[in-house]
Amino acid sequence: MKIVAVTACTAGIAHTYIVAEKLQKAAEELGHDIKVETQGSAGIENELTAEDIANADVVIYSHDIAVRGASRFAGKKIVDVPISTAMKQPKSLISTIEKKLGAK
Amino acid sequence: MPLNEILNKDIIDLNVQGSTKDEVLRYMASVLLKNGYISDEDVFIKDIYEREAEGPTGMGSHISIPHGKSFSVLKNGIMIGKTVQPIRWESSMSDDGFQDTQLIFLFCVSADAEFARNHMMLLSELAGKLGNDVRVAKLSKAQTKEEILDLILCEDDQLGEAEVLEAEEIVDLDIDL
Repeated sequence: MKIVAVTACTAGIAHTYIVAEKLQKAAEELGHDIKVETQGSAGIENELTAEDIANADVVIYSHDIAVRGASRFAGKKIVDVPISTAMKQPKSLISTIEKKLGAK
Repeated sequence: MPLNEILNKDIIDLNVQGSTKDEVLRYMASVLLKNGYISDEDVFIKDIYEREAEGPTGMGSHISIPHGKSFSVLKNGIMIGKTVQPIRWESSMSDDGFQDTQLIFLFCVSADAEFARNHMMLLSELAGKLGNDVRVAKLSKAQTKEEILDLILCEDDQLGEAEVLEAEEIVDLDIDL
């Protein structure tokens, strides 16, 4: 699968970045392409382009605060989970999405 | 060079005293005060607790990452503390909501966005490194300040191998798609 994700936590200092890394690692390990945009105190980093989004099979919102620029994802399949889900079970999250989409 | 300010042996303490979360946070705040990172312990602690109230900062593997933005911060940094005894800490990783913490990364970040901006990229990069399970497993066993610094600063591919504590078992999640 091609996955794009956005991470955003309340303080924007730690979990946003830790979860981005966890999603990256989990997706790679399970054989998927992923790009993760972080929305934290450092601003928006690794910003998803229109092309990234157009090519993605699925969008993951891993967040505790509102995702900025959500209109970019209109019409896409979106999985919306709290930060804690990707913090605790990043591989399960991606493997469940894979099963539900029947994709590889 | 902001890295020397953010990660600094003066604010790594391998003998953090206290038997409760509150005691260790106060101990660590006193080290930050002594080293000129904060201007007021009580204000800093209050701001840390404000973030603590929003959700658990235990991240498994006996590691916690309390953090908050505070106007009491004079220098941005990450204080690293190894506790002399396990500390019960709210956790996002366990079923009962708690874990035993022995290594604490206390993020000390200015609430002044302009002032913190220069350092946020570096802080976020360092935070992201804690998303690597092998690094985290090695950090939880590290015994010296040098070892801790090396593990944080090295690239992922320099980490080598480690048995990951609490490795994730892949299960089906109940998600809407």
